[in-house]
Amino acid sequence: MPDQSHVGRRYSAPGQRIAPESARAVAQAIAGTDPVREADAVPPTFAAVYCLGPTLAQLFSDPEVGIDLAGLIHGEQSFEWPAPVHPGDVVDATAEITSIDTRRGMTFVRLAMEATRPADQAVVCRATSLMIVRAPA
Amino acid sequence: MPRNLAHDRAGSGMTAPAASEIAIGDSLAPFSRVVTQEQVNAYADASGDHNPIHVDPEFARSVGLPGTIAHGMLEMGILADAIASWAGGNANLVSLSCRFSKPLLPGDTIICAGTVVSVDDAGVATLEVGASSDRGDRLLTNGRATVRLSR
Repeated sequence: MPDQSHVGRRYSAPGQRIAPESARAVAQAIAGTDPVREADAVPPTFAAVYCLGPTLAQLFSDPEVGIDLAGLIHGEQSFEWPAPVHPGDVVDATAEITSIDTRRGMTFVRLAMEATRPADQAVVCRATSLMIVRAPA
Repeated sequence: MPRNLAHDRAGSGMTAPAASEIAIGDSLAPFSRVVTQEQVNAYADASGDHNPIHVDPEFARSVGLPGTIAHGMLEMGILADAIASWAGGNANLVSLSCRFSKPLLPGDTIICAGTVVSVDDAGVATLEVGASSDRGDRLLTNGRATVRLSR
């Protein structure tokens, strides 16, 4: 189980390409049967794919933290987009565990993430996530 | 018939509402969308998040859920879509945050809402935003968005 000793642990996922076909597929899934509003744009929450996904995958498979995926809940999410990101861009994503608290059998893991585009050093996304890990039943 | 300003703006390109037109208390245009299991499956494939709670009903029930649930990030994506269509495009959405309070069950309709709570001197509007389901569940709560308005 995650505990205080894991605060400050960092994960790095450089070279995340914003694949146009992937951005389009996410935009279409969000739109459902509605038309996609901006066909050639990267949906804002595509940050889940280029920023959260690759760094959280490392957290979830970190044997020293030992998160049980079966009991995992995405509790809160925040995004800030300081600069626009475009299909085909390549970004470096990082994440850091900023706090871990345990109450009532649940462990609250907070993370801060950032995605930067090396081509112009622009920060394209800052994010925070709250992941809630329920103790095994 | 009343004009739907959000649609006019979205259709006219990337023009944000003008700061002079926006007042505290203004609301997003009504925005709802049925979320089907097919859509959840498509989001799983597109995003790479194949957690079985979203796509495998038997597994979902084994961990105490009534069935599969939509990805929180799919719901947040729909909320972002609702705000961006009011804001005249994705590029005008500066920030968005929310809590995932209750899960969305495939087949339900997500209903997004938002109200302007402040506009600053730089022309950035802050909205309280959220989403509920047609069965009355509060899905996305404590939501806040900032939107860049045009001058």
